[in-house]
Amino acid sequence: MNDFTDKLLKAFPNGLKASDGGTIELTDKKKLLKVVERVRKNFDILFMLTVVDRPPNFELNYVFSKYEGRDILILRTLIKHEESIDSITNLFPSADWEEREAYDLFGIKFDGHPNLKRILLPEDWPGHPLRKDFVVTDEIKNWTGLDLKF
Amino acid sequence: MNNEDLSSEFSYPGLGEIIITNAEKFIDAVLNWGRSNSLWPLTFGTSCCAIEMMTFGATKVDADRLGTLFIGDSPRQADLIFVSGTITKKMARRLVNVYQQMPSPKYVIAVGACNVSGGLYWDSYNTIHGIDRIMPVDVYIPGCPPKPEEFLDAVKVLQRLIKEKKTKEDLLYGRRS
Repeated sequence: MNDFTDKLLKAFPNGLKASDGGTIELTDKKKLLKVVERVRKNFDILFMLTVVDRPPNFELNYVFSKYEGRDILILRTLIKHEESIDSITNLFPSADWEEREAYDLFGIKFDGHPNLKRILLPEDWPGHPLRKDFVVTDEIKNWTGLDLKF
Repeated sequence: MNNEDLSSEFSYPGLGEIIITNAEKFIDAVLNWGRSNSLWPLTFGTSCCAIEMMTFGATKVDADRLGTLFIGDSPRQADLIFVSGTITKKMARRLVNVYQQMPSPKYVIAVGACNVSGGLYWDSYNTIHGIDRIMPVDVYIPGCPPKPEEFLDAVKVLQRLIKEKKTKEDLLYGRRS
């Protein structure tokens, strides 16, 4: 794994840097697709995509793994709240639902995603609930999305 | 007491009126007796309360002896819906959709703390805090999850409510045709 990490860091000297715990940090988010295309030569699976809200940034962790062997690779990138990022659905089809979930709960826009809509919550839901600035008010608790009279 | 007071207090209905009102009462009583003793449920299980609902239909706590036959889960043939499990806001529309497909008269039993008041998810942004916000509920079964015996009790209570014409169906929509 270390060999591959070194090769990856040498291939992108401007966009990547090593971070703590064996993570690779992507400093230039425009190079995401090129980096992921390179990663795909060695890793088969997009294991998960996790998002952490660290205001004013979102921290995205792309975790890649393999069918054979125990290697994992964590690619980390920081984007601003109002920024958008490229979708990697063309390279890893399993990113489809992961990115929809990130859009649903955090409101991150993914450019080039084929079907970017909410996956867990109803489509007319007000707000993005896992953001730090989201407050659970009585209005949201009582929201049903139904027009009922009784 | 004068004869005039008697006549003003006490009016004599005609014979036809007596027969019609008594016949209506008799027919209602017979219908309600029939309805209360053959409640076919629709099982709407979304989480752990559904496991207790399965035990309710199984041998030891037998639902069939009260006429509650678990015959096929179709809303078109159901009189009663057991809503057992947490209802999220996305599921609420599906639940109301299923409920609206049931023929009237229809009765609702809310099973478990989540459906009574929100329960464990009282502070959540994504659950319905008590399904009486979205549909009329006749009987509540508290517990997290409730015992299967409490389902028997709830069905007995519902049968009594139907015979006494005190269900939400009667109170909200009045006389059924």
